Amino acid sequence: MSAITLTEDEQDVLQELMNVAYGNATAVVADMLDAFASLSIPNIKIMQTHELLQEFQSLKGSSYFFSTQAFVGEFSGESAFFIDDESAKNLATHLELESEEDLDDAILELTNVLTSSLTTRLAQEMDTEVKFSLPSISKIPLSEISHNKTFEQYSQVIVIDTQLNFQDQKINGEIFILTKDGSIEWLKNQLNKILEALM
Amino acid sequence: MKYLVTDDSKLARLSLIKSLKSLVGEVEIFQATNGQEAVDLVKSEKPDIAFLDLTMPVLDGYGALPLMLEAYPKLKVVVVSADIQERAKTMVIELGAQLHVQKPINADKMQEILDIL
Repeated sequence: MSAITLTEDEQDVLQELMNVAYGNATAVVADMLDAFASLSIPNIKIMQTHELLQEFQSLKGSSYFFSTQAFVGEFSGESAFFIDDESAKNLATHLELESEEDLDDAILELTNVLTSSLTTRLAQEMDTEVKFSLPSISKIPLSEISHNKTFEQYSQVIVIDTQLNFQDQKINGEIFILTKDGSIEWLKNQLNKILEALM
Repeated sequence: MKYLVTDDSKLARLSLIKSLKSLVGEVEIFQATNGQEAVDLVKSEKPDIAFLDLTMPVLDGYGALPLMLEAYPKLKVVVVSADIQERAKTMVIELGAQLHVQKPINADKMQEILDIL
């Protein structure tokens, strides 16, 4: 497969759609946690899967919780959410959770709410719908990411990377939306349709 | 009337300007891609109404808003943001914005904004 690139305009449109979708998802999570998040500008890159895995591996400095949720439709792919150990502990404190099991459950629920509202809104902005596959979420130790079968479905991915940052509670996370090979061309077409409608 | 549209995204600026022009016709519209440019344009052009994004490089909307109002107190600022958290809305109103509106803007939303202003 030849390398795909996004033009500056396509990147701008995708970044803005992601900004809208992320704002929406953050408001849902902020309500759920009764906390206020500061929003950051999404970072968009096209990467080869092996580069992405290297990027994930570089997060190994601290221990992380990693969860993924796949979505299917014209726009297909997977969202991945990282939350570091310290943030996870702060989340437990904030929610007054006592057991490890409760914390795992809270992280998975946070991932579910965050990524499903984010992806649903992003798809909506691109005039399509996505379905979430079941079982949709699993917690994977970082050391096993490269063995994760789901990544075998991608050769190159559009990575939309954004931060979740609840400053007062010291909870930080990072979200990646990975777009499947077959969806990249579709995505480029949709981005250009949106642009053309404004010209 | 002079308008200022501030957003780091070209898409967001184009879409807002399209809605605005569909209602008010050809008017003087200045564009800024970050908060600092917005502050500078408010000082030099003294627009009547400014549309302001929050999440931007160099200087974000929270930082720019008080400086814009200080530079030209008659300015009416409409914050147009994807950040729809209650606290974000309260903060920008406390900083002096007239309105906080959720992105993206279409002609119907723009009509409501202009009616309120």
